[in-house]
Amino acid sequence: MIQVHIYGVARLKAGVGSFETNVQTLEELKGILPGITRKEADDLVVFVNEKAVKKHYRFQDGDQVSFLAPAGGG
Amino acid sequence: MGKVLRINLTEQKAEEYPFSDEERRLFIGGKTMAAKILYDNLKGNETAFSDENMLVVTTGPLTGSGAPSSSRFNISTLSPQTGYITSSNCGGKFGYYLKRAGLDGLILQGHFETPHWIEIKKDKVLFHEAGELWGMKTSETQEYLDEKLKLPNGRLQKNGKICIGPAGEHQVLYSCIISNERVSGRGGTGAVMGWMNLKAVVASGNQEVKVMEKEKMVKHTQKWFRYLKSHPLTGNQLPRFGTAGLVSAMQMRGILATKNYSGGRYEDFEKISGEVLAEKYNIVNKGCLTCPIKCARTVEVEGKPVKGPELETLVLLGSGILNHDLEAVFRWNYELDELGMDTISCANTIAYAMEANEKGIWKNGLEFSSTENLSRLFEEIAYGRGIGKELGQGSRRLSEKYGGKDFAIQVKGMELAAYEPRKAAGMGLGYAVSNRGGCHLNGGYLVILEGLGLSVNPTTYHGKADLTMLFQDLMEMISATGQCLFTSYAFFPSPLLKHPNSWYTKLANLVLPHCGPVVRLINKYPEIACFHLPVFHHTKAFEYVTGMKMTFGTYIRCGERGYNLERELNRRFGVDASRDVLPKRLVAELQDPDSPDSKVPLKKMKKIYYQARGWDRNGLPPEKLLKKLKIG
Repeated sequence: MIQVHIYGVARLKAGVGSFETNVQTLEELKGILPGITRKEADDLVVFVNEKAVKKHYRFQDGDQVSFLAPAGGG
Repeated sequence: MGKVLRINLTEQKAEEYPFSDEERRLFIGGKTMAAKILYDNLKGNETAFSDENMLVVTTGPLTGSGAPSSSRFNISTLSPQTGYITSSNCGGKFGYYLKRAGLDGLILQGHFETPHWIEIKKDKVLFHEAGELWGMKTSETQEYLDEKLKLPNGRLQKNGKICIGPAGEHQVLYSCIISNERVSGRGGTGAVMGWMNLKAVVASGNQEVKVMEKEKMVKHTQKWFRYLKSHPLTGNQLPRFGTAGLVSAMQMRGILATKNYSGGRYEDFEKISGEVLAEKYNIVNKGCLTCPIKCARTVEVEGKPVKGPELETLVLLGSGILNHDLEAVFRWNYELDELGMDTISCANTIAYAMEANEKGIWKNGLEFSSTENLSRLFEEIAYGRGIGKELGQGSRRLSEKYGGKDFAIQVKGMELAAYEPRKAAGMGLGYAVSNRGGCHLNGGYLVILEGLGLSVNPTTYHGKADLTMLFQDLMEMISATGQCLFTSYAFFPSPLLKHPNSWYTKLANLVLPHCGPVVRLINKYPEIACFHLPVFHHTKAFEYVTGMKMTFGTYIRCGERGYNLERELNRRFGVDASRDVLPKRLVAELQDPDSPDSKVPLKKMKKIYYQARGWDRNGLPPEKLLKKLKIG
């Protein structure tokens, strides 16, 4: 089981901040994000346990996966 | 073109200050115009609290022109906090109404014997006793002034105001100036105003802001508004989440200042995030005049809708002191604005005190996570009572007294913004060399390339010095023209931000650290950049408003002139390479023990930065460069 978090503008599209799932790979996860198309998911930056990962990443039980879009201003 | 007015408070006299057409061409407006005025009047032996110091309030040529986010004004002075020149670019309405009063700039000098406020009405200057006002908080002060300025028919006379709160009156070194709900926050401008016994300035008038090519400007502005609204940062992220929207991204990148910058991640970050603020608390987005971005939040404090906290406040009164109570941050943000204090310096000074207490070098009773008495502490700081009197001096002075300089997170006496720089090396360089001290914006805000907007390698030193120089100069000029710095984010073409995993964005991330030679080439020969960039609307707008020729190259050159001018002015007050330093925590301690590069490689970057700027080894602009830039 992994915990998925969605931040920033993507969260507004998804309509949820976080959820749990048991998919095995990042590729699979991108296909099941609520309210977000596969194409849109490809345009999000992904972190697993707060580290940037490559697109073929395979999850381990307990992983914390975060999706977010580029941001600026402060 | 408006006038520059010099007001001698001691004698209660106003006269026009000569600022020639040639000076306007070279020094534009805003902070650069202010720096030129200070440069021509300060010798280097003045102190902030003296009749020789000046509080220079300036607008830019674009202020009130209808250009996006162009209601800005700037306040510059010799800072009591740093001992160097500080400048603060502020929103609200004051800049617009100063311009409508026919003024491009206002120089305040001397002091009143008793508290006063000043009314500028068209070209008249009226001095009013402020005995009743003295002691009032900032919103009460502004309400009182609106009441005083009611027209005979009972309607409000449209105006712009700046005022101070109790902190400025008591000369807290990081007290600020408030304009509506916007803040000229950094460097202690409020303390200078308080020393002058000046509670407020109100401007009103109906002079039209002159635009040389009106039709072209209207069309250009419409196009520019559309561009900003369609851009992922200025049209989507900032309107939806405000600056608070960066908390989550900063957490992921390890740059969220936590526990007095001892780390870059906070386990409860989500509780203080922009997402939670937007979902649970934001009532409405607000923006300054003519701003399509509308980055301000409105939240409720004790049943009253008030301005929500910006990112810096959220982080530094959140993770910075290990607090995850978002509603408490709303309240503190409101209280600090009411008292008239810079939230960044105040929060970081308290964080320093908490760590000093934890380490046993200064037993003061303040503890991380223990925040029940913070509201009372803010009052004590503002009124100079008890421990507050010491905290009002800022972290540099406290660390000189009690020790702990390694963890007094300040540069040149000014506390750092919310970005922990050990995983954003370029931001670290920017903090160190910034003219006004530990400031992210005056430092070039390279963190936007180092993980927030783009993903350039955050810990490498390659290219960071040249890019820092470029962004500093760019923002210097945007500020000088009277615009908000947030308009600069649209400098990054939308596709790069919309598609961060595309081949071209990845290529940009790889190429940017190697573009130093190109930056230097443009810097040396601005005439080669003799064009307008399609993503950078500022240059054409400048031409349409002023009638002056402006290309991207000359725009950068003007910014360079402004940056060097402030540096040269600071030289008179003792700035050199020895002041461009970061606290030891950030350059010698690893943020992550497993990452040998998780500290700021400042020495290397500083050397390259000085070379790029054409400064000598001591970090000072040589005579030849000053001549080339027509400074002096």
